[in-house]
Amino acid sequence: MTLDAPRSVDTTAPSFAAVAEELLDDVYGYLLYLTKNWAVAEDLTSETFEAAFKKWRRFDPRRGTPRAWLLAIARTTALDWFRADARRRRREERADAAEPRRDNESAFGEGLSPALEEGLRALTAGEREVVALRVVLDLDGEEAARLLGITPTAVSTRLSRALAKLEERMREDDVV
Amino acid sequence: MTSSDLIHELRASRPAAPTALRARIREISAPETARAPWSRFHFPVRRAALIAIPAAAALAFASAGVLGLARSDVSTETYRAEALEDTASPQHAPSTTLGTGAQDSAIGPTTDRKQRVSATLTVEVPNSDAVSRAAQDALDLTRRLGGHVVSASVATGEEGSAALTVRVPVAKVQEAIVGLSALGRIVSQQVTIEDLQESLDALERRAASVRNQIARIAARLETESLDAQTRAVLQARLQTLRGELRELRGGIASTNAEARMSTIQLTVVTPGAFGAVAPPARLDRTIDEALNVLAWEAVIVLAVLIVMAPFALLAFAAWLGHRLYRRREEERLLAA
Repeated sequence: MTLDAPRSVDTTAPSFAAVAEELLDDVYGYLLYLTKNWAVAEDLTSETFEAAFKKWRRFDPRRGTPRAWLLAIARTTALDWFRADARRRRREERADAAEPRRDNESAFGEGLSPALEEGLRALTAGEREVVALRVVLDLDGEEAARLLGITPTAVSTRLSRALAKLEERMREDDVV
Repeated sequence: MTSSDLIHELRASRPAAPTALRARIREISAPETARAPWSRFHFPVRRAALIAIPAAAALAFASAGVLGLARSDVSTETYRAEALEDTASPQHAPSTTLGTGAQDSAIGPTTDRKQRVSATLTVEVPNSDAVSRAAQDALDLTRRLGGHVVSASVATGEEGSAALTVRVPVAKVQEAIVGLSALGRIVSQQVTIEDLQESLDALERRAASVRNQIARIAARLETESLDAQTRAVLQARLQTLRGELRELRGGIASTNAEARMSTIQLTVVTPGAFGAVAPPARLDRTIDEALNVLAWEAVIVLAVLIVMAPFALLAFAAWLGHRLYRRREEERLLAA
C-alpha cells in the first residue's frame, strides 16, 4: 500500500471566507464518510462552519493548519451528533417505537463502484473516519493521529484493517 | 483489486459539497468583515499564563532585591554589636536582668534589701596593647573601689583579649561598671540582680527559733531535777541544736557577704578577636537579606502549594476520569 505525499498546506492566516471556500469539500467529505448520510453530513458541515466562524479569532496558524483545525471541530460536532443519535435511538427502543433505521444512505462520492460503496458502508464509523482522513483527504499520519487523539501507529493499524476489509469485500464481490 | 487501486478509486471519487451547502457556508462566513472591532479582541489565556509565571518569579526576585537593599541599610555599629552579642554570649541569669546599654547601669541595687548583683561587660579596644592597658586599669579600679580579683586572663598577640572576674562592694558596683565601661567601646553589657533578702530572713527566723529552743533546754537542765535518761536526751538535743545554729550563722554570714560584694565579669577584645565582629560588606548584607526574603517567599508558596495540592490532585483525577470516559464513549460510538 502506498500513499501519495501529503499536500502542502499554506500556514498563513487567510480570511475565514477563503478558508471555508477552500476546505468545504474536505469537511463535507469527512463528515459524509463518518455519518454515511448526506443530509446529516450537510447539517453537520453547516454546524461546523458556524462553530468555526465563532472561534476563528482564536485560531493560531502556528499550532496547526486550518484544515486540521476545521476537521477537529467537525469531529467534535459529529461526535455530539452520534451521542444525540444514540440517545434518540435508546428512547425509541424503550418506547418500543423503533422503526427500521432509514440511514438515508447515499453515495460517498461520484464515480465510486457499487461494491466499494457497499464495502465502505460495511465499515465502522471509526474505520471510515481513518479512510477519509488518510486516503480521501490525504492527511499525514501525525496529523491524523493528533486529530483522532491516538498514536500514529494506531492510525496505521486502523487504516490497514479498514483497507483489508474493503479488499476482502471487493474480492468477495468479484467472486460473486 | 489491490490497496493501491482502492486508494486511487477513493481519491478519484472525493465527495464534493453540494451547491446549496456551499451557498449556505458562504452566507455564514460573509459577516466576517462587518464585525465590530472590539469583538476581535480575545484574551489569550494560555499565553497569559506563560507570561504570568515568569513575571511572578521576576517580581519575587525583584521584591527580594529591593527589600534586601532596604534592610541592608543598617549601621555598621548595629551589626558589630549584634555579632559580638552572639559570639561573646554573656551568661544569662534567670533573675532580674537590666538593660544592655551603659546608661541602663544607672539602675542599680536597692539599699534596703540584700541582693546578689552580677554584671557582664564586653568592651572593645583598638589593639592588643590596649587590651593589656585596659586589663591593668580594670584591676586598679577594682582595688581602688575596695574589691578584689577572682580571676584574670590576659592574652596578647595579633588578636589580644582579656577575661577578668572581679568582686567589688555592692555599694560601688555602679561606679565600677561606669569605670569599666570607659575602658573601651561597649559592645555588650548585662547587669543581673537577684534578691537574697527572703532567704536571709528565713535563715534568721530559723536561727532565732533554734536559739529559743537552746535556751529552754539549757534552763531545764539547770533548774529541774531530771532522771539520768531524760537528762541525756536533752543534752543530745542541745548538742544538735547548737550544731544547727552554727550552720545557720555561717549561712547568714555567707549570704551577707554575697550581698556585700558584686561579681563583675569583664571581657576585653580587639576588633579582630571575633570573626563575626567585622561588619559584612553592604553587598553581602544585601544578598543575605534578599535570600532571607526569597526564603520567606518560597515558604509562602510552598504552604499555598501544600494546601492546594489535594484539591489540584482531585481536579486532575476528575479531569483524567472525564477524559477516559469520553475516549471510551467515542470508541463505542465510532465502532457502530
